Amino acid sequence: MAKVAQGALDRAQELYEHRGLRARELTAQGSKFVGYLCCYTPAEIVTALNMVPYRIQGGVGRPLKHADQYLETIMCPYVRSCFDLAMGGEYDFLSGVVIPHTCDAMHRIYDTWRYYIKPPYSRCITVPHMTHQASFEYFQKELEDFQHSLEHFAGRSASEDDLAGAIALHNRSRALLRELYELRKREPPLISGTEVIRVLVAGMTIPVQEFNDLLRDIIAEVRERKPIPDSKPRLLVAGSEVDDVAMIRLLEDCGASVVMDDVCTGSRSFWVDVDPAKGALPGLAARYLGGITCPCTYRAGKAAERFSYMGDYVRDWGVQGVLLYTIRFCDTYQLDAPEIIEYMESLGLPVLYLEDDYIMPPLAQWKTRIEAFLETIEAKKQE
Amino acid sequence: MTQETREKTSSRKSTESAGKIRTVVKRMYQQAQQAKEERRKVAYCMVMCNYEEILAALDIVQVYTENYAGLCAVKRQAEPYMEKARAEGYSDLLCGYAQVGIGFDALRRELGEMPPDAPDGGMPEPDMLLGCSMGCDPRWKWYQALGRYKDAPIYNMDVLMPPSDADIDAIKEHSVRYMAEELRGLIAFLEEQTGAKMDYDRLMAIVRRVEETRWWWREAYELRKAVPCPMSTQDHFVLFVPHHMMLTDPFTLEFYKGLYEELKERVDKKIGVIDDEKYRLLWGMGLPPWHTMSILDYFPKFGAVFAAETAYMIPEPFEIPPDVTDPVEIIALRAFQRNSALQRRGQEADGIPPLAQAHLERIRDYSIDGVVMHITRSCRASTMGQILVRNVIRDHYPQMPVMFMESDIIDLDTYSEAETHSRIDTFMEMVESYKAPAS
Ligand code: SF4
Ligand code: SF4
Repeated sequence: MAKVAQGALDRAQELYEHRGLRARELTAQGSKFVGYLCCYTPAEIVTALNMVPYRIQGGVGRPLKHADQYLETIMCPYVRSCFDLAMGGEYDFLSGVVIPHTCDAMHRIYDTWRYYIKPPYSRCITVPHMTHQASFEYFQKELEDFQHSLEHFAGRSASEDDLAGAIALHNRSRALLRELYELRKREPPLISGTEVIRVLVAGMTIPVQEFNDLLRDIIAEVRERKPIPDSKPRLLVAGSEVDDVAMIRLLEDCGASVVMDDVCTGSRSFWVDVDPAKGALPGLAARYLGGITCPCTYRAGKAAERFSYMGDYVRDWGVQGVLLYTIRFCDTYQLDAPEIIEYMESLGLPVLYLEDDYIMPPLAQWKTRIEAFLETIEAKKQE
Repeated sequence: MTQETREKTSSRKSTESAGKIRTVVKRMYQQAQQAKEERRKVAYCMVMCNYEEILAALDIVQVYTENYAGLCAVKRQAEPYMEKARAEGYSDLLCGYAQVGIGFDALRRELGEMPPDAPDGGMPEPDMLLGCSMGCDPRWKWYQALGRYKDAPIYNMDVLMPPSDADIDAIKEHSVRYMAEELRGLIAFLEEQTGAKMDYDRLMAIVRRVEETRWWWREAYELRKAVPCPMSTQDHFVLFVPHHMMLTDPFTLEFYKGLYEELKERVDKKIGVIDDEKYRLLWGMGLPPWHTMSILDYFPKFGAVFAAETAYMIPEPFEIPPDVTDPVEIIALRAFQRNSALQRRGQEADGIPPLAQAHLERIRDYSIDGVVMHITRSCRASTMGQILVRNVIRDHYPQMPVMFMESDIIDLDTYSEAETHSRIDTFMEMVESYKAPAS
């Protein structure tokens, strides 16, 4: 049996708190980091070229310093925050940036990013909004072009084996994360929602192999835990980007257990594997376009069909209430939100809907709403 | 809302062609309602999706939901629909058109009939919903949301907008192929819905007529390069209607020919929008403030006229290649060429972002002295990028005044007439001093 490394969660917390630190260290040793926004970027292609994919994050609780001079106030505040940090030099260790055109905000930020930040490498990947057969064929070609452009930048090419190796590494990462999420099924869960966010964010900032090692240690560490039984309300958090612990910690401080999520930075980014049997690029196209359930991709059917995967989470993780979190000015999420609420309520679950400006979450105001919400769940449990 | 903002839109120097539009719009909705009664198939549509000719060739009646929302705003009747959308759980920050449209359909569903007093008799109940991804997310996502209120089948399709730095020649083949497949998918869907078969010769004839229609509109529009400018922006914001909503109608072709004749005569006789044209402005990004179009009447007081716009642009010129005979291929190729033309020219101009390129071209070609942009709170697509465009304009024309007007396409809450007037006053002072050394 592998030796249980102590302090793996502490290491995750350290990486979470000092996000660019490891990247800077490795960059100083010659590694190249390629930043990306949004979980539709096929990180495997970056890894296959021996570079490190780094998911660019925003700064919750950090007022904007530069963005107002460049970006309109009605733009997705998460995107504004990422850009703000980049303008302040926070991401100057990155050799490039990849921004998929998944939503209007992503599409528009690309030109501004290039014009002002001038990264040595930049690429906008067109992600189809549809999932027709032809959409997959187009997307595969788009990924092929992305690969070629990155090869050009890297000064080397990625063989089918390189790609297969990178896919295996990332699939391993996904499998480990799912294994970690399994431990949240327990009553009480073996790991808190707050800790999970730290682990996820840490993983976005280091090479995948390093993350896999860390995850293995984290899982071993968490498995050893012997929690005291409790009966805290078990929550699913659904929504957009959550790359900070503030909201999750507030929920847990108020007495809930966050046991599952459907957010861009959480399960949505790793739930589905790349099928290696399909071949690298077809497999990547199928996984990214077909496997990610973001509202920016059109899927036919009524709400009950479209959101049934969340129904599965509810059943399997014993979810008792849902927090729906959307970022202001996000049209795609906001056009789905009423139906998500309706669907969850049809499953008998209370829903709390928070529309946030991402940068300065009104925690004190939320606290009252969360407490009332948790009381509703408790009352329902007594029924 | 102040009392002043209720002033009527009035442009004394309006064209006769623009004067006809109100009747045309009314008739359009009447005809759509009548078609519904005759059990012809009605589709909810989005403008500029590139499927107009296909729908016409299959005799499908097209109802443009974004523009209906705009009509509700012009008539100040959008409020009850917005309220309904909010009551249904939709955010008040959502695209204003989508709020109005969803509210309208939610209300109709609740009442079991057309909402009373619906402007121009309302939109008929659709048999299908046809969205596309060209321009912004709400243009397909809205119809998905309507699935909450309707069982009408949906066909959403992609229309690609290549990134600014894409290698246009390299991506052409597979981009056009994808677009053609999306169109073929649409045709198969429509054939199933209507039981009719596509007549490709008829489609080809319609495609040709549409190109001719656009040619005339473009020719007419370009006459605005003349000094004095023969046509106002108020007119532009109604004259696009036949093109966007009745593109395939033979009437539309005749209409733009008529517009051309009218403007040509004005140019020949040096008849301008205003008597003493001192400054020429560009209406840059941002849809117009439909609820308060009268604000545009404030500019002529300074001797200023809007000579061009980047909103509701006429599609780029396109020559039907003689060797391509499949009309679907032609539509796909046309969509690609048009949606990548600004990227191409921007790249040739040393990496100007496409949106900025559109502005620089108009500033140059229409002898512009100042730019007005409209920050519309509820339309991300036409607002995001305005600051970048302003900055690029400044990089090229360091003194060129650029003004941001803030309100919305629908909602009046964010609009202050007094504040807008004072911004215009300051802006016009700058335009004046910018122009002074040259004159
Ligand atoms: S809409 Fe979704 S994909 Fe777009 S920026 Fe917001 S969270 Fe990201
Ligand atoms: S976001 Fe803007 S462009 Fe898109 S549908 Fe709404 S009003 Fe139209």
